[in-house]
Amino acid sequence: MACGVQLKFVLPSDPKFLPVVRGAMCPLAEAMGWEESDCRAIALALDEALANVIRHAYHGRTDGVMELECQVSAEGLEITLLDNGEAPDKSKLCARPVGCDRPGGLGSHIIRDVMDRVSYEITAEGNRFVALKRFPKRP
Amino acid sequence: MKISIRDAGQAKIVEVEGDVDLGTSPDLRRALFENLRLAPKLALNLAAIRYIDSSGIATLIEALKDAQRLGKDFVLYGLSPAVEQVFRLTHVVRIFQVFNTEQEALG
Repeated sequence: MACGVQLKFVLPSDPKFLPVVRGAMCPLAEAMGWEESDCRAIALALDEALANVIRHAYHGRTDGVMELECQVSAEGLEITLLDNGEAPDKSKLCARPVGCDRPGGLGSHIIRDVMDRVSYEITAEGNRFVALKRFPKRP
Repeated sequence: MKISIRDAGQAKIVEVEGDVDLGTSPDLRRALFENLRLAPKLALNLAAIRYIDSSGIATLIEALKDAQRLGKDFVLYGLSPAVEQVFRLTHVVRIFQVFNTEQEALG
């Protein structure tokens, strides 16, 4: 694997930039050897993390800053997302039961389903979201 | 994202092309809510959707709830592999009426 590959974005909290990130993430995951459906799922999980920041940390404001770093290591692909908006309410993460007919709250479930490790942390730099997708085990 | 609407007998067909995400789902929501009021049945063609996220899925759930309130039919058809994958991930496929073709959806 191409350890050390890094992709960095500094983006405004504006949904119009979401396709830009998705457009980069899918080919990166593909280059790292994931299958097409996994690449789509990884790009979706990242998109959901960014959308959560836009909606919940910045409450739809488009002038917030989101710093995104995608780092390839021997273990897999690690995504780090930093923002300076409102801190996440951890009690509300994944609070919605899956499979119910209520809109909203699906994004966090997608992230946890797709990624192998997810953490949220409040730091001096801001809110830090970190998620890891491990490389598939080779036979 | 591009939305087009046409009549098919008593029903309205809404066709969506492109990406449905946080930025575009409000336009889809508006189109679905408006057209649910204009016909007894609304069928949404998802075949040309390249990407849909949880805000798009939430929009479909909202439209379904609105249809139920209004006593209208809201059905989906033509799920692409990309859309089907998100339906699976969000465990919502069982709450919608989903068909393969337009003919089946309107049947």
